[in-house]
Amino acid sequence: MYTRSIVAYTSNGHGYMPRTVDLLQGTLDLLILKTLSWGPAHGYAVARWIETLTGEVLRVGEGSLYPALHRLEERGWVESSWQISSTKRRTKVYRLTAKGRQQLKAETGTWSQFVDAVAKVLKTEERPL
Amino acid sequence: MSDRWLRWFQPTRRDPKRDVDEEIQFHLDARIADLVSRGASPDDARRQALSEFGDADAVRADTVRIDERIIRRERRADWISEFIRDARLGFRSLLRTPAYTITTVLCAALGIGVTGAIVSASYSILVRPLPYPHDEQLVTIYSDNPGHGYKSVNISWPDFVDWRDRNQTFSGIGIFTWNSNTITGGSGDAERVTGSEISPNLFAILGVRPAFGRLFLPNEDDRGRAPVTLISHRLWLRRFGGDSTLVGRTINLDGRAHTVVGIMSPGFNFPDRGDVWVPFKTDPALERHGNRGYAGAIGRIKPGVTVAQASADLHRIDALLAREVPDENEGWQAGVLTMRDDLVGDLRRPLEVFLVAVAMVLLTVCANLANLMLARGAARGREVAIRAALGASRGRIVRQLMTESIVTAVLGGVLGVAIAWWGVRLLRFAFPDQSPPFYVKLGLDAVAIAFIVVITLVTGILFGSVPALRTARTNLDTTLREGSRAAGTGLHRSRLRGALVVSEIALSVVLMVGAALLARSYKNLAGSDLGFDEHHVLSARITLPSSDYATRGEAAVFYQRLLTDLRRLPDVVSVGSAQGIPFSGWNVQGEAHVEGAPPPKRGDELIAHYQYVTPDYFKTIGVSLVRGRWFNDADRDSLNPVVLVNELMVAKAFGGHDPIGKRMGSSGSDHAATVVGVIKDFRHYRLPEPMGPAVYYPYASYPGRQQTIVVRTAHDHPQTLIPELRAAVRSIDKRVALYQVQTFDEVVSRSFWRQRLQGNVVTVFAALALCLACIGLYGVISYAVAQRTRELGVRIALGASRGRVVWLVGRQSARLVVAGVAFGLIAAYFAVGLLSSLLYGVRPTDPGTFALVPGVLAVVAFLAAVIPAARAARVDPIIAMRSE
Repeated sequence: MYTRSIVAYTSNGHGYMPRTVDLLQGTLDLLILKTLSWGPAHGYAVARWIETLTGEVLRVGEGSLYPALHRLEERGWVESSWQISSTKRRTKVYRLTAKGRQQLKAETGTWSQFVDAVAKVLKTEERPL
Repeated sequence: MSDRWLRWFQPTRRDPKRDVDEEIQFHLDARIADLVSRGASPDDARRQALSEFGDADAVRADTVRIDERIIRRERRADWISEFIRDARLGFRSLLRTPAYTITTVLCAALGIGVTGAIVSASYSILVRPLPYPHDEQLVTIYSDNPGHGYKSVNISWPDFVDWRDRNQTFSGIGIFTWNSNTITGGSGDAERVTGSEISPNLFAILGVRPAFGRLFLPNEDDRGRAPVTLISHRLWLRRFGGDSTLVGRTINLDGRAHTVVGIMSPGFNFPDRGDVWVPFKTDPALERHGNRGYAGAIGRIKPGVTVAQASADLHRIDALLAREVPDENEGWQAGVLTMRDDLVGDLRRPLEVFLVAVAMVLLTVCANLANLMLARGAARGREVAIRAALGASRGRIVRQLMTESIVTAVLGGVLGVAIAWWGVRLLRFAFPDQSPPFYVKLGLDAVAIAFIVVITLVTGILFGSVPALRTARTNLDTTLREGSRAAGTGLHRSRLRGALVVSEIALSVVLMVGAALLARSYKNLAGSDLGFDEHHVLSARITLPSSDYATRGEAAVFYQRLLTDLRRLPDVVSVGSAQGIPFSGWNVQGEAHVEGAPPPKRGDELIAHYQYVTPDYFKTIGVSLVRGRWFNDADRDSLNPVVLVNELMVAKAFGGHDPIGKRMGSSGSDHAATVVGVIKDFRHYRLPEPMGPAVYYPYASYPGRQQTIVVRTAHDHPQTLIPELRAAVRSIDKRVALYQVQTFDEVVSRSFWRQRLQGNVVTVFAALALCLACIGLYGVISYAVAQRTRELGVRIALGASRGRVVWLVGRQSARLVVAGVAFGLIAAYFAVGLLSSLLYGVRPTDPGTFALVPGVLAVVAFLAAVIPAARAARVDPIIAMRSE
C-alpha cells in the first residue's frame, strides 16, 4: 500500500533538508478537494496551487498526488475527462462532484475541530487541575 | 471548449496504462517548461522536476492499479444490469408463450425432482454412515454352509466363543439374540417390548454410550447374577415419564424384577427398534456347536484390517473346528458382512435399478429440454435477425437468448428441488410401517441435487444457445427476406431434433419394459396361489412370562382357555394357534427322517420345517386336508406323538407313497411320531423363497409359552375384533401382553413391500419417460407441420386429399417411432439382465412384455402425432399461402 505523505521542506541554513512527515489520513485528499472546489483543474495545476498556497512551508510530494486523485475518482468525489490543454496536448481534467463537495464540507469541519483542539492543548500553559 | 465536442476524443476502449503515462508525462513536461521559463537550464529543470515528482514508477503502478479496479467494477455493474435486463426480457417473452414455458419448466422440474429424490435416498441408504463411530469396522457374522446352500444362518453359542477367543483380527466380537419382554409397572397396561439379550461387550463394540447410568459389566452375563437391564430413552420417557431416579431402581420384565443400570441415548436402537436389553445368558441346552439359528454376532475389526482378512481369520478357526467337532461343524464357516451390507443389502439391487432408471429419466428430460429449446430457437430466427439488423452484436443476442434458457432452467430447478424434497419425504412411506429403519436418515443430499441441477442447467443453456448461435450467424438478409421458414436452416436441425425424439422413445421403451417386468413380478407374487386364505383372519402374538407360567401345563391351560373364550365371540368362525403363521418370518427348520429309511449321507440330510399347532389352526388359515385326519383334542401324547405332514414331505421322504401310519422323527420332538394326515402344501416362507417339506406336531403334546393366535371371522374387517381379543386376554391374565396384532392380509401384503415398491417406482418413471417422449414427438411433428404449412396449403390447393396430408405428416412420426422402438427394444434386451434377480415368475426377456411395450407406445405416440396431423389437414390453402 502506498503511504500517503507530504514531504515538508524546512530551511535550516544549510540548504533544503527533506523531511518526511506522515500526515493524517485524508489530509492530502482534503487539500485536493479544496483546490478543486475553485473549479476544474488538471493534476499539475492542483500541485502548483497547493505549492503556492502552502508556499515555503509545505509542498506536495508531487507524484503522490496522482494515486490520490484517482482514488478520489474511484470514490466518486471527483470526476475526470480528457481535454485539450492550452499547449494543445491531451490532458486529464478533474472536477469536484456534488458528492465530493459534501465530503469537502464534512472534512473541513472535522479538520477545524481537530486543529482547534490541538491548538488549545498547545496553548495551555498550566497543567489542568 | 465545449465538453460535448471534446468527448469525441475519448477513446472508446480505455487503456489505463497509456492514460496514466500520458497524465504523468504532461505533468513533468509542464513543470520543466515552467522552470525553463523561469530561467533554469533544460537539464536542471528536468532534474528538478523529476526529483520533485518522487518515485515515478511507484506512482504509476499505484495509479494504474486504481484505474484497473475502477474499470473492472464498471464492467461488472454493466454485466449485472445487462443480465437483469435480459432476465426481465426473457421472462416477458416466456410469459407470452405459456404452453412452452410450462412444458419446459415442468419438464426440468420433474427431471430434477425425481432424480434428486432417488439419488438422495440411495445415498442415505447405501452410503451415509451408520450412527456408530468408525462404522466401516463393524461387521455382522453369520454361519454359512456353502455345500448345503445355507447362507447367512444365525450362529451358535460355542461357534461364537471360539471365534471370540481364537481370532487375531478383531478388537471385539459380541453376541445377541432377538428378544421381547412383557413389561409391567410404570404407567399403562402390560406391554410387549422388543429388544435383545446382548453380551456385555456388545454396546461398547458398537461404540455407543448410555445417556444415564452405565453399560453392562463384563461378568453380568454370568448365570446367577441378579437380573439387570438397559432401557431405551424412548421407553424411559413414555413409560417412566423421564424419571431421573430410575437408574438403580428395578422394573418388572416378564414378571421378574430387573435393576435398571442405564438408559441409552435418544435415537439409539438395537437390533432394529429395541427398547429393552438384558445380558445374554446361555442355557446349557443351547451349548452345542450345531445349535445354530438363534443368535447373531457383531464384531469390530481392528484398524487397518480388511473385511476379507477378518473373514479369512475366522475361516481359519472354522477349519480347526471342522476337525475338532466334525459332526457339527464340517462344512460350516463364518459369513462376514459389513454391517451396512447386512442392514441394507436387500435394498442395494432395487436401488441400483432405480438409479439406472432415474438416469434414463434424466436423459429423457435433457433430450426433451434440448428439443423444446431447439424448437423455440428456430421459431425466433426472425426476431433475432431483426435485432441484429438494429445493431445488436452477435454476442449480445446470444447472451440474451441464453439468459432466457437460464431463467427457464432456474425456474425448473427451484420447482425441481421442491419436488425432490417432497419426493424424499414420500419415499418414507415406501418402507413397511411407513417409517424407514433407524439407520436410514432420509434427506435431500445437497451434492446430488447440485449435480443434477447443473446437468439440467447445462442442457438448457447448451441447447438454448446452439440455435441462438446458429441464427446469429445466418445471413441477415436472407433470413429477413425469406421469413421464418429460412430461420431453421432446416434439414440439419430437424435431423437433430428427430434424433432426440428417437432417443427419448428408445429410453422410454427400456423403462417401460423394465416397469412391465417388475409390475408383472409383483402381480405374480401377490397373485400366486399361496395355498392358504389370508382374508378375514386376525393374528396376534403372545409370549407368556416364564415367572408366572413355569411349566408347560400352565401355558397349555392359558391357551386352552383363551381359544375357547375367543371361539365363543360373535362372528368368529374358527380359532387356532401356531408358533408362527405363514409370512411372519418364523422359519424354524431341522433334520427329519423316516423310520426304516437308510441313514442319509452326510450333506444329504432331509431338512424340514416343523412347528406345534392346535387342531383348528389349518382350518382357520384355510389349508385343506388331502388325506388322513386332522388333529383332535385327544392328541396330546408327547411320548408317542402324532404328526401331520405336507405333500412335499410325502414326495421327498415317502417317495410319494401313502405315509399314513408310518413313523418318522424330526428335530421337533425327541420321540418318533406317527403320521396321521397329509395337508395340502402352502407357502409358509415369504415369497419368493420356495416351500419345503414340513411336519406339524399337536400343540398339546409339547405346549410352549409363545404362540401366534389366528382368528377367522365372518367380518370383512377382522381388525374390528381387536378390542374383544384384548379383552379376552386381559380377563384371563392382565399381565399378559398381546403384540404384533395385525390382520393376516397385512402380514402377507407387507411381505411384498419391496416388490411393490420396485414395480411402482419404475412404473412411475416409465410413465414419466413416456409422457416426455410424447411431448417431444408432438413438438417435433407440430413444428414440422408449422414449417410446411405453405407447402401443405399448395398441395391441398392442387387437389391433395386431407387424408393424403394426414398421411404425409403421419409418415414422419411413424418413422421416428419405429426407429425409437427398435433402438429401445435392443437396449432393453441387454438392460434387463440387471433386473433378473428382482423378477418372479417372469423371464427377463419375456416375449409378451417385449410385444406389449411397442404396442402401448405406438398407441400413445399415435395420439401425440394425430393432433398436429389433424391441424395440417385443416390447413386453409388461401391462408397458408398468404401467410408470410
